[in-house]
Amino acid sequence: MVVREFSEPVRNVTKSDVLAHEEVIERLMEYFTVLPVRFHTVFNGKDDIFSMMQSYYKDFRYNLDRLYNKVEFGIKVIWPADKIKKSIRNSHKKSKHEMTIPDGSLNKKFMGKKLEKYRINQEFEKKADKFINVMDIFFSKFAVEKKLKKLKTENLLLDAVYLVEKDRYDDFKEAFKHIKNSHTGFKFLLSGPWPTYNFVICQRKVTCSKIPSKKTYLIN
Amino acid sequence: MTINGVVETDFPEEFIEEMEKTNDVLPKKIDANPENVEKGLSKLVLTLIELIRKLLEKQAMRRVEAGSLSEDEIERMGETLMKLENKMKELKQIFGLEDEELNLNLGPLGDLM
Repeated sequence: MVVREFSEPVRNVTKSDVLAHEEVIERLMEYFTVLPVRFHTVFNGKDDIFSMMQSYYKDFRYNLDRLYNKVEFGIKVIWPADKIKKSIRNSHKKSKHEMTIPDGSLNKKFMGKKLEKYRINQEFEKKADKFINVMDIFFSKFAVEKKLKKLKTENLLLDAVYLVEKDRYDDFKEAFKHIKNSHTGFKFLLSGPWPTYNFVICQRKVTCSKIPSKKTYLIN
Repeated sequence: MTINGVVETDFPEEFIEEMEKTNDVLPKKIDANPENVEKGLSKLVLTLIELIRKLLEKQAMRRVEAGSLSEDEIERMGETLMKLENKMKELKQIFGLEDEELNLNLGPLGDLM
Protein backbone atom coordinates (compact mmCIF):
# COMPACT_ATOMS: atom_id res chain seq x y z
CA MET A 1 0.00 0.00 0.00
CA VAL A 2 1.33 3.44 -0.92
CA VAL A 3 0.61 6.17 1.60
CA ARG A 4 1.77 9.63 2.50
CA GLU A 5 2.22 10.52 6.12
CA PHE A 6 1.30 13.96 7.40
CA SER A 7 0.42 15.56 10.70
CA GLU A 8 -1.52 18.70 9.75
CA PRO A 9 -4.97 18.46 8.19
CA VAL A 10 -4.83 19.22 4.45
CA ARG A 11 -7.55 21.76 3.80
CA ASN A 12 -6.62 23.39 0.51
CA VAL A 13 -6.29 20.76 -2.13
CA THR A 14 -4.88 21.93 -5.44
CA LYS A 15 -5.09 20.55 -8.96
CA SER A 16 -1.43 19.56 -8.77
CA ASP A 17 -2.16 17.46 -5.64
CA VAL A 18 -4.82 15.54 -7.57
CA LEU A 19 -2.48 15.04 -10.52
CA ALA A 20 0.29 13.88 -8.18
CA HIS A 21 -2.07 11.25 -6.77
CA GLU A 22 -2.95 10.13 -10.28
CA GLU A 23 0.72 10.03 -11.29
CA VAL A 24 1.64 7.77 -8.38
CA ILE A 25 -1.12 5.35 -9.34
CA GLU A 26 -0.21 5.38 -13.02
CA ARG A 27 3.48 4.76 -12.29
CA LEU A 28 2.55 1.80 -10.12
CA MET A 29 0.23 0.54 -12.83
CA GLU A 30 3.20 0.05 -15.12
CA TYR A 31 4.51 -2.72 -12.87
CA PHE A 32 1.67 -3.94 -10.66
CA THR A 33 -2.06 -4.48 -10.47
CA VAL A 34 -3.27 -1.45 -8.56
CA LEU A 35 -6.44 -1.00 -6.56
CA PRO A 36 -6.76 2.77 -6.77
CA VAL A 37 -8.29 4.58 -3.84
CA ARG A 38 -10.19 7.82 -4.18
CA PHE A 39 -8.04 10.93 -3.87
CA HIS A 40 -7.84 12.35 -0.34
CA THR A 41 -8.73 9.16 1.48
CA VAL A 42 -7.42 9.65 4.98
CA PHE A 43 -6.75 7.16 7.78
CA ASN A 44 -6.05 7.88 11.41
CA GLY A 45 -2.70 6.18 11.70
CA LYS A 46 -0.98 2.94 10.78
CA ASP A 47 -3.12 0.76 13.03
CA ASP A 48 -6.26 1.80 11.17
CA ILE A 49 -4.66 0.91 7.87
CA PHE A 50 -3.52 -2.52 9.05
CA SER A 51 -6.88 -3.33 10.54
CA MET A 52 -8.68 -2.18 7.40
CA MET A 53 -6.37 -4.29 5.23
CA GLN A 54 -6.95 -7.33 7.40
CA SER A 55 -10.71 -7.03 7.30
CA TYR A 56 -10.75 -6.43 3.55
CA TYR A 57 -8.15 -9.02 2.68
CA LYS A 58 -10.59 -11.23 0.76
CA ASP A 59 -12.00 -8.28 -1.16
CA PHE A 60 -8.54 -7.03 -2.08
CA ARG A 61 -7.40 -10.50 -3.14
CA TYR A 62 -10.47 -10.93 -5.32
CA ASN A 63 -10.03 -7.52 -6.95
CA LEU A 64 -6.32 -8.02 -7.54
CA ASP A 65 -7.06 -11.23 -9.44
CA ARG A 66 -9.98 -9.74 -11.33
CA LEU A 67 -8.28 -6.53 -12.36
CA TYR A 68 -4.92 -8.03 -13.25
CA ASN A 69 -3.58 -6.51 -16.47
CA LYS A 70 -6.64 -4.31 -17.02
CA VAL A 71 -7.29 -0.60 -17.45
CA GLU A 72 -10.33 1.61 -17.53
CA PHE A 73 -11.64 3.76 -20.37
CA GLY A 74 -14.34 6.39 -20.11
CA ILE A 75 -16.74 7.17 -22.94
CA LYS A 76 -19.20 10.04 -23.00
CA VAL A 77 -21.65 10.77 -25.79
CA ILE A 78 -23.71 13.90 -26.35
CA TRP A 79 -26.61 13.50 -28.74
CA PRO A 80 -28.73 16.17 -30.44
CA ALA A 81 -31.52 15.93 -27.86
CA ASP A 82 -33.44 18.99 -29.10
CA LYS A 83 -33.56 17.73 -32.68
CA ILE A 84 -34.61 14.26 -31.56
CA LYS A 85 -37.41 15.61 -29.37
CA LYS A 86 -38.55 17.86 -32.19
CA SER A 87 -38.70 14.97 -34.65
CA ILE A 88 -40.66 12.87 -32.14
CA ARG A 89 -43.08 15.77 -31.61
CA ASN A 90 -43.55 16.14 -35.37
CA SER A 91 -44.15 12.45 -35.90
CA HIS A 92 -46.73 12.50 -33.07
CA LYS A 93 -48.57 15.37 -34.72
CA LYS A 94 -48.72 13.45 -38.00
CA SER A 95 -49.88 10.14 -36.55
CA LYS A 96 -53.51 10.15 -35.50
CA HIS A 97 -53.78 6.52 -34.53
CA GLU A 98 -52.87 6.99 -30.87
CA MET A 99 -55.60 7.27 -28.29
CA THR A 100 -56.04 10.85 -27.10
CA ILE A 101 -58.10 12.48 -24.42
CA PRO A 102 -61.15 14.19 -25.89
CA ASP A 103 -60.94 17.96 -25.59
CA GLY A 104 -63.28 19.52 -23.11
CA SER A 105 -62.75 20.96 -19.69
CA LEU A 106 -59.55 22.60 -18.50
CA ASN A 107 -58.74 19.45 -16.51
CA LYS A 108 -58.98 17.24 -19.57
CA LYS A 109 -56.85 19.63 -21.61
CA PHE A 110 -54.26 19.50 -18.84
CA MET A 111 -54.31 15.70 -18.91
CA GLY A 112 -54.05 15.76 -22.70
CA LYS A 113 -50.91 17.89 -22.56
CA LYS A 114 -49.40 15.68 -19.87
CA LEU A 115 -50.13 12.58 -21.90
CA GLU A 116 -48.48 14.06 -24.96
CA LYS A 117 -45.39 14.96 -22.92
CA TYR A 118 -45.34 11.49 -21.36
CA ARG A 119 -45.46 9.83 -24.77
CA ILE A 120 -42.68 12.03 -26.14
CA ASN A 121 -40.50 11.21 -23.13
CA GLN A 122 -41.19 7.50 -23.48
CA GLU A 123 -40.13 7.59 -27.11
CA PHE A 124 -37.12 9.75 -26.28
CA GLU A 125 -35.96 7.13 -23.77
CA LYS A 126 -36.60 4.31 -26.25
CA LYS A 127 -34.44 6.06 -28.84
CA ALA A 128 -31.72 6.57 -26.22
CA ASP A 129 -31.80 2.87 -25.35
CA LYS A 130 -31.55 1.97 -29.02
CA PHE A 131 -28.48 4.14 -29.64
CA ILE A 132 -26.79 3.05 -26.43
CA ASN A 133 -27.44 -0.58 -27.26
CA VAL A 134 -25.79 -0.27 -30.68
CA MET A 135 -22.72 1.42 -29.22
CA ASP A 136 -22.47 -0.86 -26.21
CA ILE A 137 -22.66 -4.08 -28.23
CA PHE A 138 -19.68 -2.88 -30.21
CA PHE A 139 -17.60 -1.61 -27.27
CA SER A 140 -18.37 -4.70 -25.22
CA LYS A 141 -16.60 -6.87 -27.79
CA PHE A 142 -13.33 -5.38 -26.58
CA ALA A 143 -14.11 -5.01 -22.88
CA VAL A 144 -14.54 -7.40 -19.99
CA GLU A 145 -16.79 -5.30 -17.75
CA LYS A 146 -18.74 -2.08 -18.06
CA LYS A 147 -20.85 0.45 -16.21
CA LEU A 148 -23.30 2.55 -18.20
CA LYS A 149 -25.32 5.58 -17.22
CA LYS A 150 -28.07 6.67 -19.57
CA LEU A 151 -29.18 10.30 -19.97
CA LYS A 152 -27.49 11.84 -16.92
CA THR A 153 -28.68 15.03 -18.52
CA GLU A 154 -31.01 15.31 -21.48
CA ASN A 155 -28.03 15.91 -23.79
CA LEU A 156 -25.59 13.48 -22.22
CA LEU A 157 -26.82 10.28 -23.83
CA LEU A 158 -24.16 8.02 -22.40
CA ASP A 159 -21.62 8.20 -19.61
CA ALA A 160 -19.85 4.86 -19.54
CA VAL A 161 -16.74 3.19 -18.21
CA TYR A 162 -15.30 0.02 -19.69
CA LEU A 163 -12.76 -2.35 -18.20
CA VAL A 164 -10.32 -3.37 -20.92
CA GLU A 165 -7.42 -5.81 -20.97
CA LYS A 166 -4.16 -3.95 -21.55
CA ASP A 167 -3.34 -5.84 -24.71
CA ARG A 168 -6.74 -4.96 -26.22
CA TYR A 169 -6.74 -1.27 -25.62
CA ASP A 170 -5.69 -0.36 -29.14
CA ASP A 171 -8.66 -2.41 -30.39
CA PHE A 172 -10.92 -0.55 -28.00
CA LYS A 173 -9.67 2.79 -29.29
CA GLU A 174 -10.29 1.63 -32.86
CA ALA A 175 -13.81 0.61 -31.89
CA PHE A 176 -14.35 4.09 -30.49
CA LYS A 177 -13.18 5.68 -33.74
CA HIS A 178 -15.53 3.46 -35.71
CA ILE A 179 -18.56 4.31 -33.58
CA LYS A 180 -17.64 8.00 -33.62
CA ASN A 181 -17.41 8.09 -37.40
CA SER A 182 -20.68 6.25 -37.87
CA HIS A 183 -22.74 8.66 -35.72
CA THR A 184 -22.78 12.06 -37.34
CA GLY A 185 -24.38 14.77 -35.24
CA PHE A 186 -23.25 13.05 -32.03
CA LYS A 187 -20.31 14.30 -29.96
CA PHE A 188 -17.89 11.85 -28.44
CA LEU A 189 -15.30 11.85 -25.68
CA LEU A 190 -12.86 9.06 -24.95
CA SER A 191 -10.61 9.14 -21.91
CA GLY A 192 -8.04 6.70 -20.62
CA PRO A 193 -6.34 4.44 -20.03
CA TRP A 194 -7.05 5.06 -16.34
CA PRO A 195 -6.53 3.07 -13.19
CA THR A 196 -9.57 0.89 -12.54
CA TYR A 197 -11.32 3.36 -10.22
CA ASN A 198 -14.82 2.27 -11.12
CA PHE A 199 -14.28 -1.45 -10.97
CA VAL A 200 -12.91 -2.10 -7.51
CA ILE A 201 -15.70 -3.92 -5.70
CA CYS A 202 -15.69 -4.01 -1.92
CA GLN A 203 -18.44 -5.86 -0.10
CA ARG A 204 -17.77 -3.97 3.12
CA LYS A 205 -17.61 -0.19 3.52
CA VAL A 206 -14.20 1.28 4.30
CA THR A 207 -14.29 3.30 7.47
CA CYS A 208 -12.14 6.33 7.13
CA SER A 209 -12.05 9.86 8.43
CA LYS A 210 -11.71 13.07 6.48
CA ILE A 211 -10.45 14.97 9.51
CA PRO A 212 -7.11 13.61 10.56
CA SER A 213 -6.13 13.55 14.20
CA LYS A 214 -2.42 13.05 14.91
CA LYS A 215 -0.51 11.16 12.27
CA THR A 216 -2.52 10.39 9.21
CA TYR A 217 -1.91 8.62 5.96
CA LEU A 218 -3.05 9.49 2.53
CA ILE A 219 -3.58 6.36 0.55
CA ASN A 220 -2.67 6.01 -3.07
CA MET B 1 -2.39 15.81 -18.12
CA THR B 2 -1.44 12.52 -16.52
CA ILE B 3 1.25 10.07 -17.61
CA ASN B 4 -0.86 7.74 -19.74
CA GLY B 5 -4.43 8.87 -19.49
CA VAL B 6 -5.62 11.18 -22.25
CA VAL B 7 -8.91 12.82 -23.03
CA GLU B 8 -9.86 12.87 -26.70
CA THR B 9 -12.72 15.03 -27.88
CA ASP B 10 -13.45 17.75 -30.42
CA PHE B 11 -15.98 19.35 -28.07
CA PRO B 12 -14.40 19.86 -24.63
CA GLU B 13 -16.60 22.84 -23.68
CA GLU B 14 -19.84 20.96 -24.35
CA PHE B 15 -18.74 18.02 -22.20
CA ILE B 16 -17.61 20.29 -19.38
CA GLU B 17 -20.98 22.03 -19.49
CA GLU B 18 -22.92 18.77 -19.33
CA MET B 19 -20.78 17.40 -16.51
CA GLU B 20 -21.23 20.61 -14.56
CA LYS B 21 -24.98 20.21 -14.88
CA THR B 22 -24.73 16.80 -13.24
CA ASN B 23 -22.48 18.17 -10.51
CA ASP B 24 -24.87 20.98 -9.66
CA VAL B 25 -27.24 18.62 -7.91
CA LEU B 26 -24.52 17.06 -5.80
CA PRO B 27 -23.73 19.17 -2.75
CA LYS B 28 -19.98 19.21 -2.06
CA LYS B 29 -20.68 19.60 1.64
CA ILE B 30 -23.64 20.18 3.90
CA ASP B 31 -23.58 23.86 4.68
CA ALA B 32 -26.02 24.20 7.54
CA ASN B 33 -26.21 27.61 9.15
CA PRO B 34 -29.04 29.74 10.58
CA GLU B 35 -29.40 31.66 7.30
CA ASN B 36 -29.92 28.72 4.99
CA VAL B 37 -31.22 25.92 7.19
CA GLU B 38 -34.83 26.71 6.28
CA LYS B 39 -34.09 26.61 2.56
CA GLY B 40 -32.09 23.37 2.94
CA LEU B 41 -34.91 21.70 4.78
CA SER B 42 -37.57 22.90 2.39
CA LYS B 43 -35.44 21.69 -0.53
CA LEU B 44 -35.32 18.22 0.97
CA VAL B 45 -39.06 18.12 1.69
CA LEU B 46 -40.03 19.57 -1.69
CA THR B 47 -37.75 17.09 -3.46
CA LEU B 48 -39.61 14.21 -1.86
CA ILE B 49 -43.01 15.75 -2.64
CA GLU B 50 -41.91 16.35 -6.24
CA LEU B 51 -40.80 12.73 -6.53
CA ILE B 52 -44.19 11.52 -5.31
CA ARG B 53 -45.99 13.97 -7.60
CA LYS B 54 -44.02 12.73 -10.61
CA LEU B 55 -44.70 9.10 -9.70
CA LEU B 56 -48.42 9.84 -9.39
CA GLU B 57 -48.38 11.60 -12.73
CA LYS B 58 -46.56 8.72 -14.42
CA GLN B 59 -48.94 6.18 -12.97
CA ALA B 60 -51.89 8.27 -14.13
CA MET B 61 -50.49 8.43 -17.67
CA ARG B 62 -49.95 4.67 -17.69
CA ARG B 63 -53.58 4.16 -16.71
CA VAL B 64 -54.80 6.57 -19.38
CA GLU B 65 -52.66 4.78 -21.97
CA ALA B 66 -54.07 1.44 -20.85
CA GLY B 67 -57.58 2.86 -21.22
CA SER B 68 -58.52 1.88 -17.69
CA LEU B 69 -59.92 5.30 -16.71
CA SER B 70 -63.39 6.58 -17.41
CA GLU B 71 -63.90 10.15 -18.69
CA ASP B 72 -65.05 11.19 -15.25
CA GLU B 73 -61.96 9.69 -13.64
CA ILE B 74 -59.72 11.47 -16.17
CA GLU B 75 -61.49 14.71 -15.32
CA ARG B 76 -60.92 14.29 -11.59
CA MET B 77 -57.35 13.13 -12.01
CA GLY B 78 -56.63 16.14 -14.22
CA GLU B 79 -57.96 18.45 -11.55
CA THR B 80 -55.90 16.76 -8.82
CA LEU B 81 -52.66 16.78 -10.81
CA MET B 82 -53.16 20.38 -11.91
CA LYS B 83 -53.75 21.52 -8.33
CA LEU B 84 -50.70 19.60 -7.14
CA GLU B 85 -48.53 21.13 -9.85
CA ASN B 86 -49.74 24.64 -9.06
CA LYS B 87 -49.15 24.13 -5.34
CA MET B 88 -45.62 22.94 -6.03
CA LYS B 89 -44.94 26.00 -8.20
CA GLU B 90 -46.16 28.19 -5.37
CA LEU B 91 -43.98 26.47 -2.76
CA LYS B 92 -40.91 26.58 -5.01
CA GLN B 93 -41.43 30.30 -5.44
CA ILE B 94 -41.80 30.86 -1.69
CA PHE B 95 -38.54 29.07 -0.94
CA GLY B 96 -36.70 30.40 -4.01
CA LEU B 97 -36.06 26.97 -5.50
CA GLU B 98 -35.69 26.03 -9.15
CA ASP B 99 -36.74 22.71 -10.69
CA GLU B 100 -33.12 21.63 -11.18
CA GLU B 101 -32.44 22.06 -7.48
CA LEU B 102 -35.04 19.49 -6.49
CA ASN B 103 -32.93 16.38 -6.63
CA LEU B 104 -30.96 14.13 -4.32
CA ASN B 105 -27.85 12.16 -5.03
CA LEU B 106 -28.22 8.60 -3.78
CA GLY B 107 -24.56 7.68 -4.24
CA PRO B 108 -24.10 4.51 -6.27
CA LEU B 109 -27.83 4.43 -7.05
CA GLY B 110 -27.56 7.71 -8.94
CA ASP B 111 -29.85 10.69 -8.68
CA LEU B 112 -33.33 10.45 -7.22
CA MET B 113 -34.92 12.11 -10.27
